[in-house]
Amino acid sequence: MAAVALIPADVRARLKHLRLRARHGAGGDGLGQHASRSRGAGLEFAQYRAYEPGDEPRRIDWKLFARSDRYFVRESERDSPLTLWLVIDASASMAQADGAKPHWRKLHAAKTIAACAIELALRQGDRFGLIALAAGGPTLIAADAGSRHRDRCLLELEKIECAGAWPAEPALRPLWERVLPSSLVLVLSDFFDDAAADLALRFAAARREVLTIQMLSADERDFPFDGGHRFVDPESGAERRVEAAAIRSDFLDRFKTARANLSRRFAASGIRHAEYFLDTAPDLPLQHFFGAVGARVRA
Amino acid sequence: MSFALLAPLGLAALAALFVPIVIHLVRRLELRTTEFAALRWISERIRPRRRLRFERPWLLLLRLALLALVALLLARPVLTEPPGQQASRVLVAPGSDLAAARTAASTGNADWRWLAPGFPAIETPAPTTNVPLASLLREADAALPANATLAVIVPAEVAGLDGERPVLAHAVDWHVVPGRMASNGTAPPSGKVAIAVRYAPSAEASVKYLDAAIAALNASGARTYTLDAEPQNVPIPAAAQALVWLGAEPTPAVTAWIEAGGTAIVDRQPHASGAPAWRDADGNVIARVAPGGRGRLVALAFQFSPNELPALLDADFPAHLRDLIEGEAPPPTRAPAEAMQPHTGATSGAIVAPPASTKPIDPWLALAIALLVLIERVVATRTREPA
Repeated sequence: MAAVALIPADVRARLKHLRLRARHGAGGDGLGQHASRSRGAGLEFAQYRAYEPGDEPRRIDWKLFARSDRYFVRESERDSPLTLWLVIDASASMAQADGAKPHWRKLHAAKTIAACAIELALRQGDRFGLIALAAGGPTLIAADAGSRHRDRCLLELEKIECAGAWPAEPALRPLWERVLPSSLVLVLSDFFDDAAADLALRFAAARREVLTIQMLSADERDFPFDGGHRFVDPESGAERRVEAAAIRSDFLDRFKTARANLSRRFAASGIRHAEYFLDTAPDLPLQHFFGAVGARVRA
Repeated sequence: MSFALLAPLGLAALAALFVPIVIHLVRRLELRTTEFAALRWISERIRPRRRLRFERPWLLLLRLALLALVALLLARPVLTEPPGQQASRVLVAPGSDLAAARTAASTGNADWRWLAPGFPAIETPAPTTNVPLASLLREADAALPANATLAVIVPAEVAGLDGERPVLAHAVDWHVVPGRMASNGTAPPSGKVAIAVRYAPSAEASVKYLDAAIAALNASGARTYTLDAEPQNVPIPAAAQALVWLGAEPTPAVTAWIEAGGTAIVDRQPHASGAPAWRDADGNVIARVAPGGRGRLVALAFQFSPNELPALLDADFPAHLRDLIEGEAPPPTRAPAEAMQPHTGATSGAIVAPPASTKPIDPWLALAIALLVLIERVVATRTREPA
């Protein structure tokens, strides 16, 4: 099955210690594992509130009515499911791979991380949806739950190909209709395009809980090139002819600064941010986001 | 052993060395292209340096060596013997007195050989075959290194000479010892020659001129000629060495006799073919000689009578008759050795004495080139392992 190819066995084994967890309560309907701000019928008492016309009579606390001669409705906290949106950058720059491992592209890593997140959501009964952003506009699969929906998403994941640049602003409008507030948004991108970072910041500003994973190759981290090189940008086709060894330290400095800036901007907006390098295990960023919290919850 | 080039201009092919150098240099200037999405953070301040570097230096070295070897092959390299030891050769003509020769040419460490075809060593029995002495002298002279000394020991009378005194490149130490060289096959003519004359009845009168000529020959020469004159119906005796057929066309029996090896003189043949063998004082051809089988046919243009052939009455007719019967006398090949001392100073244009025993190393060079070609192909076509 496709999921077997997407998630290596060792990664899948490590996933069982992880739990998706939103910082804010979820607001959806139905029964789930996440604390929600919704009040209603449930196990854990939350509060009494005054009766309003339309409330079911069976939810009136009759004992309290006997004592106070007023109608009160008993409300409890409701555990509700989370909605996880996976936003995958499928622009041409995500085709980048390491020279040492030319078939393990950033997009493949992003697909694997997305598949892992889908497995986590499925295990917890959460809803999940998939958005792939390529030049032609977003490919969108509406949020839903269940293993059939998981398979649908995995099939769609398999089909994603890198092409073109980050889509223009009008093409992104459907996202705002689908990605409802309080849902968890996991953005997988290299964030080399400022528009990607902008999208994440705007989601965060609009009360979506945003997690970002910056997909980076080991070549970008180490810059192991030597001799004369012609570097070509896969998206714009622009090129730089440089002496690689001479500019290494300069590039590493500037790139590190850029990454730090991005991280700072995200942190300022309440976005949890992680970096993923292509030569590390694909579940590392998920461990960073969910592992420690999950461990604390279990303890 | 030293090294020499027979055609040093071939080294000009070394100019081809710059071709692989240029190839490897040009390819070096290409930049490696890498897709790199984080292009924004690459500064363009430092341009790629254009270094003089060679791509795949081992392959370049192989190719240079290959070209150098080919150029060397074009220059025809040879290995020469060291000139340090002076070669000294003593050639002894067959027929020389060996003991006298040893005392005559008392050089210490010389190479003694017979002056005979193949120059056999002196220890082998003396060759008895025909020795073309002048030709062998030139051959020995040409084969010797330039600084070698050549001593020749000849008997007092030498044979196997040709038209002139030999002219050699080396100074020859010419020792004459007592002795005599065997003759070269054509012994001086002696003995009896039987001549058969067969005449038609009309030509009987011509026989007396033959008689007179034979008598003159018998009186002057070393050989004895006998004449056996009969009419044409008498068969030709087997012992006859020559036949004079007068007054009639040759019969098939005569033709068969000629082809069996005899010499026949036939008169009244004005249209005969063949080489002129006898001309009169005005240059008109009197007799032509043509080979027929193993023998010869001498055709007189005229009738064998003084009316038509006044030369019959000349004083030199017997000598002409002898020449016609016996063929031309061979040129003299014998001479006293003292008179035949070779001239020195053959110009280098006439006789080139090659450098002392040169050994061409072309085959080994070609082998090395073939090997290099193989290695070069293997190295050049080997797929480069992914880095």
